[in-house]
Amino acid sequence: MTALRCDRLALADLTDYTAGELSATEAAAMEAHLFSCADCAARAAELDALVRAIPPAVRSAEVGGFVTDDVLNTLARQGVHVRTFVLSPGAVVPCAVWEDDEVMAVRMRGNFGEADEVTMSQRVDGQEVVRATGHVTASSPGEIIYTLSAAWVRQLPVVNVEVVLTTNSEGQERTIGSYTLVHGGSLQR
Amino acid sequence: MPDTQVTLDAVSDEALARRIAGGPAGSTDAEESALYRRFAPRVRLYGRRHLRSAEGADDLAQEVLLLTIERLRAGDVQKVEQIGSFILGTSRMMCHSERRLSKRREALAARFADTAVETAPPSLSALDTPRVTTCLRGLPSRERLVLLLTYYAEREAPRIAEDLGLSPGAVRTIRHRAMGRLRDCVTGGLRS
Repeated sequence: MTALRCDRLALADLTDYTAGELSATEAAAMEAHLFSCADCAARAAELDALVRAIPPAVRSAEVGGFVTDDVLNTLARQGVHVRTFVLSPGAVVPCAVWEDDEVMAVRMRGNFGEADEVTMSQRVDGQEVVRATGHVTASSPGEIIYTLSAAWVRQLPVVNVEVVLTTNSEGQERTIGSYTLVHGGSLQR
Repeated sequence: MPDTQVTLDAVSDEALARRIAGGPAGSTDAEESALYRRFAPRVRLYGRRHLRSAEGADDLAQEVLLLTIERLRAGDVQKVEQIGSFILGTSRMMCHSERRLSKRREALAARFADTAVETAPPSLSALDTPRVTTCLRGLPSRERLVLLLTYYAEREAPRIAEDLGLSPGAVRTIRHRAMGRLRDCVTGGLRS
């Protein structure tokens, strides 16, 4: 890759621009530079390609992870089939995805207390298969939303998936809840 | 890469614009394509920022560049040495008069129906979705969520900050770091 000579606009500046974080004056100054500088324009085009690649990646349902209702609602608005399960601590919930489901969303409820960060451990036959850290959000008090690709869930055998949410406060691990998903395979209409 | 394109890549914006302005119609197809390749991504970026629509931005890029070429040919661009400023000004003007776009689009399409201006779809420069997906999955949870809320759910920074219990400045910093990591992952660490 050819080295770019002008580095007036850094990735952070361009990120602020694409996120709409700049004032009108700042944005106008950046635009004036972009339209006269090939080096910074190349850097902007690179970032723009990344930004444009994010929505199709999310719509592909393969990104997964912790999300909020804003993300789930956008998926639904765009016609992505989301299968949702709501779990309370101690719940044993039969779960299955239909053949046209694309995303499985699990809403895990519990007493999060003052915790802002939680760790989720998914275990199959006592063995941890997924471990992820997520953050409690103001828009979903008392629950945390985790998404998985429905295609990944479909290929699981009939099995119980144990999910444990914990939080760490002052060096003490506290269990928020244990949940059991009884995976019954894929359903056809 | 064709020789003509290699040669034109070394030509300044001003020289490119002068060739289009000075050449008879139909004789500067390569220069027009080069001008399009150079400026269409910038106009698209501008359009996405101001129109909040990917489709609108794609249309804007085509309209602005076609109009620029039309003005160059007609000798209507007074400061050819500032062709970038002209294109930016045209982008601003067209964004502000979006309602007039559809009428112009039809007229321009008819007028340039027989020219060979390259209007390659933006998808040609799009990144490989599975690769981006893998890289997004590999980001720390909070960084990934900030990117999803910003660029997928299109949420404003104050709302993201409130939702995550952070200051807007912290959200901004997380977004910078996340985009850096995502870029490095997608490009395999190659940096310009």
